[in-house]
Amino acid sequence: MTSHDQISGAASGEYGRKVRAWLQQNLTDELRTDRALETPPSLEALIAFEAAQHTAGLTGITWPTAYSGHGLTLREHLEANREIGLSPMPNAVNSIGKELVGPIVMAVGEERQKQQFLPAILNMQNIWCQGFSEPGAGSDLAGLTTKAEKTADGWRINGQKIWTSGAAKSQRCLLLARTGVKEDRHRGLVMFAVPMDSPGIDVRKIRSIDGQWSFCEVFFNDVIVDDADRLGAPDEGWTAATRVLSIERATNRMYRAWRFQSEIDHLVAACRSDARTFAILNEHARELAWLRMQVELLKGHVETLVDSLMAGEEIAHRGSFPKLFWSEAHQRFATIAQQIVSRFPRNGGQVLNDAKARMQDLYLTGRAETIYAGTTEIQLDIISKRALNLRKAA
Amino acid sequence: MLDDLDPKEFEATARAVMEACGEAPDAAARAGLLAEAGLLGVSAPEDIGGLGLGLDFAIPIVSAAGAGLLGFPLIEAMLLSRALAKVAPEVAGTICTGQAVGTIAWNGTLEAGKVAAAPLAGDATHCLVFCKDGTAILIETAGLQPEMAIDDLDLELPTGAFALTAAEGPALDAAAVAALREDAKMLRAAFALGSATTCLDLAIAYSQDRVQFGKPLSANQVLRHRMSRDTLALETTRNAITRALAEPAEGAGEAREAAWQAAAHYGPAVAESAIQIFGGMGFTWEVPLHRHLRQMLTQNAHGAAAAGLAAVAARLMQTPTNSWYEDIQSAV
Repeated sequence: MTSHDQISGAASGEYGRKVRAWLQQNLTDELRTDRALETPPSLEALIAFEAAQHTAGLTGITWPTAYSGHGLTLREHLEANREIGLSPMPNAVNSIGKELVGPIVMAVGEERQKQQFLPAILNMQNIWCQGFSEPGAGSDLAGLTTKAEKTADGWRINGQKIWTSGAAKSQRCLLLARTGVKEDRHRGLVMFAVPMDSPGIDVRKIRSIDGQWSFCEVFFNDVIVDDADRLGAPDEGWTAATRVLSIERATNRMYRAWRFQSEIDHLVAACRSDARTFAILNEHARELAWLRMQVELLKGHVETLVDSLMAGEEIAHRGSFPKLFWSEAHQRFATIAQQIVSRFPRNGGQVLNDAKARMQDLYLTGRAETIYAGTTEIQLDIISKRALNLRKAA
Repeated sequence: MLDDLDPKEFEATARAVMEACGEAPDAAARAGLLAEAGLLGVSAPEDIGGLGLGLDFAIPIVSAAGAGLLGFPLIEAMLLSRALAKVAPEVAGTICTGQAVGTIAWNGTLEAGKVAAAPLAGDATHCLVFCKDGTAILIETAGLQPEMAIDDLDLELPTGAFALTAAEGPALDAAAVAALREDAKMLRAAFALGSATTCLDLAIAYSQDRVQFGKPLSANQVLRHRMSRDTLALETTRNAITRALAEPAEGAGEAREAAWQAAAHYGPAVAESAIQIFGGMGFTWEVPLHRHLRQMLTQNAHGAAAAGLAAVAARLMQTPTNSWYEDIQSAV
C-alpha cells in the first residue's frame, strides 16, 4: 500500500455523512454565518451550539476518550472537517482551547491537569485565550518580557500581553512568561494555565478593522498563580509546545479548503439569482476558476500532510505551506468577491444582501489571515531557512 | 515482486537513462535506451510487453524526462501504449518496447485535412490523429512527409504537421480518447514538475555561489522569499499530483485538472523566476533555463491548458452542487 491511498483516496465515509446530517438538523438560520443578521447570535447561543457539537462528535475527534474525546483518528477528523467547511457554521469560540491548549496539555501536562482541563474545553465550561504575543514580542518570542518569579506559594506574574483574542470571555489563559531576564532569549520560558479571574488581571478590549471587539490587551500586575497551574517544567514545557505547534499548524482549521469552496459556491449561487449580478460574476469567471483550482490545491496540501502524519512522519516546516497558500489565495478571493458585491444593485433582496454582507466581512477579516499564526513574511523565512537552508554569508 | 515496488525506486534509473539519452545519436537510439530500462512501458499492460504498473509509476520517469530535457516523445509513447493495448496490442507492444516511435498530433483534426503539433514527427513511425467526433486513429507515417514547424518554442522536440485526406489504422473511441487526455494531464504535470524543479535547484545553487556586495545573493531577503515562493509553488504541484493519483472520491476529475493547471501555471513561472535570479547569465543561450521554459510552454500548448481553465470557469458559472445553497433560485 502506498502512502497516498490512506486518506486522500478515501470516500466521504459514514462519519462525514453523520456530521452532515447533524449540521443540517442543528445549524439554524440564526447561527448561519451566511445571513445578514440584524442581531448576531449571543455568546451563550454559540457556546451551547459548540458544546452540542462535541456531543455530536464534531469536536475532540482525535482526543482520547479518557478526557472526553472521541478516540478516533485524523481520518474521521478530516471527514468531519470537510462537512464543517462546506457548511456556513460559525467559527469556534473555543478554538484556542481545542487547537492549541488541548494538544499542549496532552503533550506536557500532568495527569491531573489533563483530567482538569481537557473535558472542560470540549464541554465549553472553559474557554481559553492565548497569552503569547506582547507589544515588543510578536513573531519574535525571544523578546518576551512578561516575568514569572517563584514565590513561597506559587508564581508572581508581571507583564503585558496583546492580540489576546477572546480574553474577555475566557476562563483560562495559556500564558507564556520568563523566569529570568530578556537576554536569556529562548531560555527560561515557562507556561501557565492562568485563571482569568485571578486578582491583578486587567483585560482591555481592542476594536479591530471589522468593527469587532474580540482582540484584547491583558495586563498582569502581581498576579499570583499556583504552581499546580504550571504546564511542564521551565524550558521543557515550551520546547515540547513548539514541537506540538509545528503539527498543529498543519492540522488546525482543517476545514479551510472546504469553507473556501463553500464561499465560492455561495457567491455563485447568489449571483445566479439575478441576471444583473450574474453578468458581473461572469466578468470574473476566469479568475474565480483559478481560485477554485487553488481550493483543490489546498486540499492537496492538507490531505498530503494528514497522510504523512498518519504514517508517523515528521512535519517540521511543511506546516508553513498550507498556511501560506491558503491565506494568500483566500485573501485574493475575498478581494474579488468584494469587487463583485460592491456592484450589486440596491434593494436586491435577501439573497443578494446575505451574500454582500458575508463577502464584505470576508474581505475585512481576510486582512488578518496573512498576519496571524505567523505572517506571510515569517512563513517565507521559515521556508528559506528550514526547507532550503539558504546561505546568508559568503 | 512487482507488487512491492515503489514509484520512487524508478527515479534514479530514470535520471541515469535520461542522461544517457542526451548522448544518444537519434530518436531510435533513445527509444532503445528507454525501452531497455523498462521506462516506456512501465504503465502499459504486461501482455504487450509493459510492466503493468499504475500511472503513478510513470510520474517519476516523466519528471526525470522534464528535468533531463529529453529529446524523445516519452509522454506520447506512454499514452499510446496504454490507450492502444486493447484495440491494437501489436503496435502498442512495438511502441512500449521501443521498436516503433509513436507520436500524437495535438492540433487539428483529420476532417480539417491537416494535423499538427506532433512532437518529433520526422522520426515517428506512427502518429495518433484526432477526429472531429472525439475519436482518434493511429496512422503509419511511412510515405508521409511531415511539414516541420518553423515556429516551435521547444528546442528538444521539434514538431511537425501531416496533410491527410483519409486515414486508416486502429481507432480509439471517444471514451478512450477522453481517458488518454486525462492521463496526459497527469504526465504533463509530472513533466513540468521535473523541469521546474531543475530550474529552481539551479537558481538556489547559483544564488549561494554568486557573491555581490560581499555576500551571496541568497543573503538578500527579497531573493530568499522569491525562492521560498517558488518552493511553495512546486510543493503545491507535487501534492496536487499525489492527490489526483489517489482519485479522491469527492472529485477525481477536478483533482486531475487542478494538478495540471498548477503545473501549467507554476512551472513556467518558476523557470522565469530562475532566469531573474541568474541575472545576465540567465539570459544566455548557454544556461539551460530557457530550454526548460520553452519545453514547459510547449506542453501547455499541446495540453491546451488555457482552454482547460476556460472549461473550469464555464462549469463554475453553473448552479453549484452545495446542498447549503440549493434553495437559492437561479434566474439565468
